[in-house]
Amino acid sequence: MSDRSQLISSGQPFTFDSARDAEFERLIKRYPIRESMIMPALWLAQEQEGWLSTEAIAYVAERVGTYPAKVFELATFYTMYHLKPVGKYHLCVCRTLSCYLREKQEIVDYLAAELGLRPGEVSEDGMFSLEEVECLGHCGTAPVIQVNGEFHEEMNVEKLKTLLAGLD
Amino acid sequence: MGETVKLFVNSQEVEVAAGKNLIDALAVAGIQIPHFCYHPALGADGNCRMCLVEIEEGRPPVVPACKTPAMEGMKVVLDSAMIKKVQQDMLEFELINHPVDCPVCDQAGECDLQDYYMAYSLEESRMDVPQVNKKKKLDFGCGVVHDQERCVLCGRCVRFTRQITETGELGIVNRTDAARVDIFPGKPLDNRYALNIVDLCPVGAMTSSDFRFKQRAWFLTRDKGVCHGCAKGCNMYIDHHREKYGDDIIYRYRARTNLQVNGYFICDEGRMSYHLQNNDRQTETIVGGASVSFDDGIKAVVEKLNQAKKPLMIVSPNSTVGQMWAVLRIATLYGGDVSGYSDGYIIEGSGDDYLIHEDKSANRRGLELLAIKQDRAHLLETLGNADLVLNFDNDFHFSAHDIEVAKLLSEKDYVAICSHRLTAFETASVVIPIASYSEYDGVIINHDDVIQRFSRAVHKNNPPKDIVEITRLLGGAITDWKRAWPGIRQTISLLREVEPDQIPEEGMKLMNSGEPDVTA
Repeated sequence: MSDRSQLISSGQPFTFDSARDAEFERLIKRYPIRESMIMPALWLAQEQEGWLSTEAIAYVAERVGTYPAKVFELATFYTMYHLKPVGKYHLCVCRTLSCYLREKQEIVDYLAAELGLRPGEVSEDGMFSLEEVECLGHCGTAPVIQVNGEFHEEMNVEKLKTLLAGLD
Repeated sequence: MGETVKLFVNSQEVEVAAGKNLIDALAVAGIQIPHFCYHPALGADGNCRMCLVEIEEGRPPVVPACKTPAMEGMKVVLDSAMIKKVQQDMLEFELINHPVDCPVCDQAGECDLQDYYMAYSLEESRMDVPQVNKKKKLDFGCGVVHDQERCVLCGRCVRFTRQITETGELGIVNRTDAARVDIFPGKPLDNRYALNIVDLCPVGAMTSSDFRFKQRAWFLTRDKGVCHGCAKGCNMYIDHHREKYGDDIIYRYRARTNLQVNGYFICDEGRMSYHLQNNDRQTETIVGGASVSFDDGIKAVVEKLNQAKKPLMIVSPNSTVGQMWAVLRIATLYGGDVSGYSDGYIIEGSGDDYLIHEDKSANRRGLELLAIKQDRAHLLETLGNADLVLNFDNDFHFSAHDIEVAKLLSEKDYVAICSHRLTAFETASVVIPIASYSEYDGVIINHDDVIQRFSRAVHKNNPPKDIVEITRLLGGAITDWKRAWPGIRQTISLLREVEPDQIPEEGMKLMNSGEPDVTA
């Protein structure tokens, strides 16, 4: 796990667009406690911008009615929230126990070499980004990677080659 | 103690209060259970796992003491091999990424991690991988400096800002070994109680920029005191020390628990008010602009008093009940008037609904109960009649308040008997230095009618005299406020049942017996 606490400012004020604004109002009725809405609201913000800026996190805090520090906690805890812009294809490799024991490092090393990236970086052309994440809940089919949220199970270098070939 | 339960600790029977968790219940019986995250003001969080204890025949057999109420017949084991292993392992976890920089850490000597390591671990480190580096010397605002590497992530500071001040500036960001306490970018601590975080932090992660590197904890003498910063009378510790060849000075105040008055905390303003005990003190005796010996100063005042037809004595709302009484007595002796005018001490809008009172004086109730007139009209009238004014440390000019009174005073023969060099005393022809509240003892009554006794903490190389001693030197009969107590008690019906030596440490709420007061 790397330090994710360095938030990046987009330099622009953030507000939900009208569709997400409506979605926020629709979802918040589900929760008896407003703070329960922090995570769905962060998700909406990320959907809109592709990543979460300092401004977006502050906006979510204000909108939900909680402390910015609390939203900051959640946004940095979950790797599904991107705290900086990601590539067109965002590759997440699970690094937790089952995947670790099933040689996730080979996958990370291969991707890093192939794409010229270290985990946490975005390729210069903006096509790929690579990240090591905590347990993705697919321990039975480890090692597992996610490409833009889509799961690829029981991965190995051979399968990765095919996968990458289909991405360009 | 109220309702009690009997339980066994390491096979010894102990009787403790019912309804408390094991940490608090056993602490009263003198049995310590190590813990980081639990604090009585913040409740049980259960995140640090340091307080795990074994319950014989319990289900589950190992439980966090902070979340386990003391129950009748419970068999608590604190010294089994399993618990010793648990404690050792927890400390090993806490120390994996800890810098162990105790020699340069302010907390050393009063650090729970250090103490627990000595008591429960003493293991060599088994780590051969590089430590996780985090940020140090972060300015969190309000004088709080944070070192992320020393932190054990107990979350007391975070819970304090959420539960007590409800300002929520802090959070624990990231996860696993990258987790750390941080503020949201651009939103530092911004509340009037932030420095309590430094007291709350069980390790050296939160330090005060004011106290950092000033003094080692083990050199400090910790005396109990009562804050004179406002009418609340919060309880605090006065941590002071005399350096070799130096004078006894105060290095910090810390909150002292008193559930009847201030709970577990004090405000930052009160905490920092210790500077005023060290600085800007009046130490010289001055007569007619020249520095003289203390005795000559007193002689000059006595001479003036003997010649005066109508002296006016101004008492301070910060003085103790005994000091006020002593001034009343010498006023009677010299046929003088007494005023307790001190409107300037009340700063409207400066209070809050927690601990901070807008009246910045500690014992206005004392003035009221002794029927000392505080109104301005009375002061102006008596000032008009007076040919000599003795001001006993009343900073009527507080917050540059009353320029007109200051001007009138400057036209009189004005004697300032004062602890500090303040604008209010500048025009005095005679200045007599006296002790401030950390240097004498007495009783004060807070705005809520709680009478509190405090003792002398600081012993200066040249100890200044307190107001009672000064009145004695000026011809008064009172040698000691405690001996004068029978007289005070007769005057104030509210104090009729109060015996100074029997005022408990947490103070005593005064209840009116319904008898009318005798006017002093």
